[in-house]
Amino acid sequence: MKGALTLCLLLLCATLAALMLGPVQLSPALLWQGLRTGEGPGALVLGTIRGPRVVTALGAGAVLGLSGALFQALFRNPLAAPDIMGFTAGAGLTIIAAIALGLTLPPPLLAAGGGLAAALLVALLSQRRGQATPPLTMILVGLGIGFIASALSSFLLTLLPHPQAAEAQRWLTGSLAARDWTHVAQVWLIGALLAALALAQMRRLAALELGEDLAAGLGLRVGRARIALAGTAVLLAAAGVAVAGPVPFIALMSGPLGARITGARRLRGQMLSAAGTGALVLVVADLAARAALPGIQLPAGVMTGLLGAPYLLWRLSREMEKGEL
Amino acid sequence: MLRLLGLFTLLALALALALSVGARPVTPAVALEALRAYDPTNPAHVTLMAIRLPRLAAGLIAGGALGLAGTVMQVMTRNPLADPGLLGVNAGAAFALLIGATALGTSDATSVALLTFPGAALASALVFTLGGGLRGDVGPVRLTLAGAALNALLLSLVTAIVLIRQDTLDMFRFWVAGSLTQAASRPLMEMALIAAAGGILALAIAPQIEALSLGSALSRSLGTKPRRVQAAALAVVTLCTGAAVAVAGPIAFLGLMVPPLARRVAGHALRRELLASALLGAALLLFADTLGRVVMPPAEVRAGIMTALIGGPIFLWVARRLRPGATA
Repeated sequence: MKGALTLCLLLLCATLAALMLGPVQLSPALLWQGLRTGEGPGALVLGTIRGPRVVTALGAGAVLGLSGALFQALFRNPLAAPDIMGFTAGAGLTIIAAIALGLTLPPPLLAAGGGLAAALLVALLSQRRGQATPPLTMILVGLGIGFIASALSSFLLTLLPHPQAAEAQRWLTGSLAARDWTHVAQVWLIGALLAALALAQMRRLAALELGEDLAAGLGLRVGRARIALAGTAVLLAAAGVAVAGPVPFIALMSGPLGARITGARRLRGQMLSAAGTGALVLVVADLAARAALPGIQLPAGVMTGLLGAPYLLWRLSREMEKGEL
Repeated sequence: MLRLLGLFTLLALALALALSVGARPVTPAVALEALRAYDPTNPAHVTLMAIRLPRLAAGLIAGGALGLAGTVMQVMTRNPLADPGLLGVNAGAAFALLIGATALGTSDATSVALLTFPGAALASALVFTLGGGLRGDVGPVRLTLAGAALNALLLSLVTAIVLIRQDTLDMFRFWVAGSLTQAASRPLMEMALIAAAGGILALAIAPQIEALSLGSALSRSLGTKPRRVQAAALAVVTLCTGAAVAVAGPIAFLGLMVPPLARRVAGHALRRELLASALLGAALLLFADTLGRVVMPPAEVRAGIMTALIGGPIFLWVARRLRPGATA
């Protein structure tokens, strides 16, 4: 309880800071006035620039964090995350491909298609006849799919004319620049729906965590439950990628970090804290990327990369100590 | 012997294609003519001498060096997924290059290019340590993930630099995928010498590496000093990868593909395998570059992307066959 309160407080502070800071600084009074009356200088900045950006970041971070925690629980492996396993790269690739080919399909649909295709490929390619798929093989195969998807993305980038290419490059890094309220509506509506779907499957997930045999003994259709959970997690990741690009490492970090902050023991609590932590990390990363160098807007993905890569390395050395890798 | 001859034929074919195929086709007759009596007013001659020959040289250097580096890495770590690109060594070298170019300006190409070596050395030492190298137990998953993390970290730093300094954007395009297009402005001669030095060192320590790959206990009883051999192998990887990145940028997957093929050709004798991997690496990179020139004219697909598209499926195939948990 105390932990959940801490997370909420952190989220609130980060959100307020992200709304106040920027090229035009808003004092708390101006911010309050803007929020309450919808008038004054605060309202303009909030309504058109910072508001949608910050609220999109909150939504995208939450769905990515939730997606990562779902995968980690499903595979019982802290390294299983949609960004490590190539699903976000697949989702990003389809969006870039649509830009390069001049197709105008809604980004969430494209991202969902690419993410699911990547997941299907990973599942098929890591299967071995007559044997259960070891999670580590799946992670390696996922890394490979990610490599291929990024190579294809950078190939498509070279086909785009210069200004478009620079924009696409920024997007592929994971950026929240120039978001508007349609992005907000997108990520929050789709995200809420998928989050509800995910939380409705918690009992299945809990049964799966006991191990396959025990879960089957409890009357669970193991294969079907896995597919439903993994599908939900891929779609959650795609919802985030559609509005923020394939931001690296949010999905990987949020679950363990969230559990650390809230101390949640039960699955539902862990999922909620992962979502909250994802939102927190992305908002802070975006703020840091904007504020790091005056006059230069770095994409948020640069910051999550700088934070996330050392985290992954630390995690690896931890796993190594435990002898699990 | 016959197989080695086959490799030379393959390389000759790659060389011929690299010289003749492209937006302006050059026949072998014209090529010979250009080499004997260069006529600067003949556009075919200029294309050949100013563009294709440097490109060819860069392909030979980078391809051969990456093939060597990949083989040494795979044998040392007993890990079939080891590759200077995937393990972040390329990224370390290229990052150092970019930092140098940003700080010193690009006027002095050679001294900037020399920065690839400390970059490659740091990255390979780091990833080897993180992968468990100091305990003599390098797991494939761990090593690959450590490489991916190092790559991601360096890529974030590079993106940040590029967005701050717009003038480095072209460097960046070169950085991301690797390509032979800027070969004419690279210090080809110096890097060829350094790569050759790396190759000779590799041949010299080949027996010790082979002994080490039998396991550290057995190799110690054979009189090998594991730390010293590891340090020498890291030096080979550093020299070869640094030279390759200095002339061609970070080209991934070549070092992954070449060693298993070289083993097919040369059998399990490391010296012959090293020779075969240098030849194969050069031939493969030249093929990839030539293919990238013709698949979708007038656009060029960079060689690094071609190698990734060919090497990615091979990575998947190897990953599928690995037994996780096993250190081999």
